[in-house]
Amino acid sequence: MKLLSSFKKELILASRSFYFYIELGSALVILAVLLLAVPENFSTTTTQYLYLGFPQAEKEMYVDTVLESESGVESEMVEIEAGGKTYDAQLITTDGEEIYIVDSEEAVEKLAYEKQAPGAVVKLDNSNQLSFKYYLQGYESTRLKNLISIMFNKDIGTLEEQIKNQEIRSLTADYEPINDRENTIPPIISFSSGLMGMFILASYIFLDKKEGVIKAYAVTASSVWQYLMSKIFVVSLTSVISGLIITMPVMGFRINYGLVLLLLLTTGFFSSSLGLLISSFYNDLMKAFGVIYLLVILFMVPAIAYFIPGWDPFWIKLIPTYPLMQGFKEIILPKGDIIYPLIASAGFLAAGVILFAVTNIRFKKTLSV
Amino acid sequence: MVSGRIRREIMAMIKVEGLYHSYTRDENYALKDVNFEVENGEIFGFLGPSGAGKSTTQGILTGLLQLQKGNVTVAGYDIRKIKRKMFNKIGMSFEQSNVYSKMTAIENLVFYSKLFDVKTRDPLELIKLVGLDGKENIKTGEFSKGMKHRLTFARSMINNPSMWFLDEPTTGLDPAIAAGIKDIIKEHNSRGVTIFLTTHNMFIADELCGRVGFIVDGEIRLIDSPKNLKLKYGKKLVEIEYAVDGNVKKETFSTIIKEDKDALNKIIAESVILTMHTKEATLEEIFIKVTGRGLV
Repeated sequence: MKLLSSFKKELILASRSFYFYIELGSALVILAVLLLAVPENFSTTTTQYLYLGFPQAEKEMYVDTVLESESGVESEMVEIEAGGKTYDAQLITTDGEEIYIVDSEEAVEKLAYEKQAPGAVVKLDNSNQLSFKYYLQGYESTRLKNLISIMFNKDIGTLEEQIKNQEIRSLTADYEPINDRENTIPPIISFSSGLMGMFILASYIFLDKKEGVIKAYAVTASSVWQYLMSKIFVVSLTSVISGLIITMPVMGFRINYGLVLLLLLTTGFFSSSLGLLISSFYNDLMKAFGVIYLLVILFMVPAIAYFIPGWDPFWIKLIPTYPLMQGFKEIILPKGDIIYPLIASAGFLAAGVILFAVTNIRFKKTLSV
Repeated sequence: MVSGRIRREIMAMIKVEGLYHSYTRDENYALKDVNFEVENGEIFGFLGPSGAGKSTTQGILTGLLQLQKGNVTVAGYDIRKIKRKMFNKIGMSFEQSNVYSKMTAIENLVFYSKLFDVKTRDPLELIKLVGLDGKENIKTGEFSKGMKHRLTFARSMINNPSMWFLDEPTTGLDPAIAAGIKDIIKEHNSRGVTIFLTTHNMFIADELCGRVGFIVDGEIRLIDSPKNLKLKYGKKLVEIEYAVDGNVKKETFSTIIKEDKDALNKIIAESVILTMHTKEATLEEIFIKVTGRGLV
């Protein structure tokens, strides 16, 4: 009854507090960005500018060869603006490339500079041999530079044969990838629902400390843990709502929402308890801001491992946001491992219980006159 | 002898023995060997200047501060092993108003009424009692300081406390409202409620308290009833106006303290006396005489 009253009170306070609307508003903004700005699959099309210093007949022969090399290759005449000038170009669009064939070496140089894309000049030298000049941007990898060198030192036919003879086998036959938009959901949920809970709960406590209402609560027959738990309930509820706002429109009903709710609730409990613990050491948000900021930075590090799968050191798996993101990813993968989010949820619940117990003891001791 | 001691402990609503407290947890004590008792049904005034240790004592009695050294029982409960049900018997009105500013007056009281295991009072009745009727549906963030203070006072009565802690209950209130608050305190006391009144307002203490304790620098200097204090010190003061070096000076002297008598005799002998008459000592003057300190 007392817990329920405290929960109702927290709901009233949350509904009249801007933190509540900030979290829900942020979720809506993130959703809008996901649906309207983030493509389902990020474009991997590369743009290149090319000048062919050949007679017209050879030039047309090259273009015809490219157009016939694979299906879906298209060609059109376009105008490109760069540095206040307009250049005529023939645009050849393939599956992964946009090649602009321009009329002069000067145009390639200018376009490569202005558009920050690679350019190449191919022409015949004085001895009637093909000469190649590349305009790179400076950030190209050593591998690409080595590849270009190999192309001029090895027989192209041998290289083609080597590539064709390579066998590629998938080790996980059941793996079905998700699109890029769906792939961005786990880190977004982790930060917007998980970490915001820590920040918002600490803010609620500091507001109560400022108004002195904790002291008034402390002289009632209700326990401190009920006061703290009622706040956790409200923050977890907000986390669940904002998490579903982001997840449902993108994922539809293709995922297990029981697991989503479980993970959102347990991570909400964990992050709220962490926020409570932090707020037990300080009297206002400004003093606690340094610690909260450091934790947010630390918790963001696993996002690097998430987007760069090749970088996955052991220590990063110990940061709570790592299992949180991976747990969400397993939930949204078509054939994801449901054991992982279950174990992650159990871990967050256990960690949350420990943090809550410590916080309860601290709050009992740190109420001041 | 034993039965007498037990009866005395039952009679004592508050019992404090050898209480020490240090915020820095060293020998720098905010409270030093504080001992006193508050009888069941009395109004006990705890008086002292700012920083004397009033709030620290009250914080320990209400469990807001941890008991470090000494023995304290409140309403029969040992403060060292505090139990939540103790607070069913306790009401606490804070000096600094502490209500939820985003909730209305009635929402505040309804919420607090649910936090006790005993029958609670009608929130609307309490709001009317402190003169806030018609304001019950206004968020307290829009209240004046005095209105918040009255609501904080009203909240402290929500659980019908038998032990009522009041910290500066009339501070910041206009005289008419302050008089109403004093009437409420008297009415509760007449029904047997024990009241621990912390204040630096000697007039309200004089008017309401059966006994007062003077605390200065964390030590209790004196405990007695205002009546006894006046009998002891009253009409034994002389207020004298005299001229010295062309300037008019006004001073008050005790006629029983040797240093005061010597000083008075010296003035009579050496100065031109303009006016001189005996007067009844106010509680504030007694406090200053006893402690050597003002109340600010």
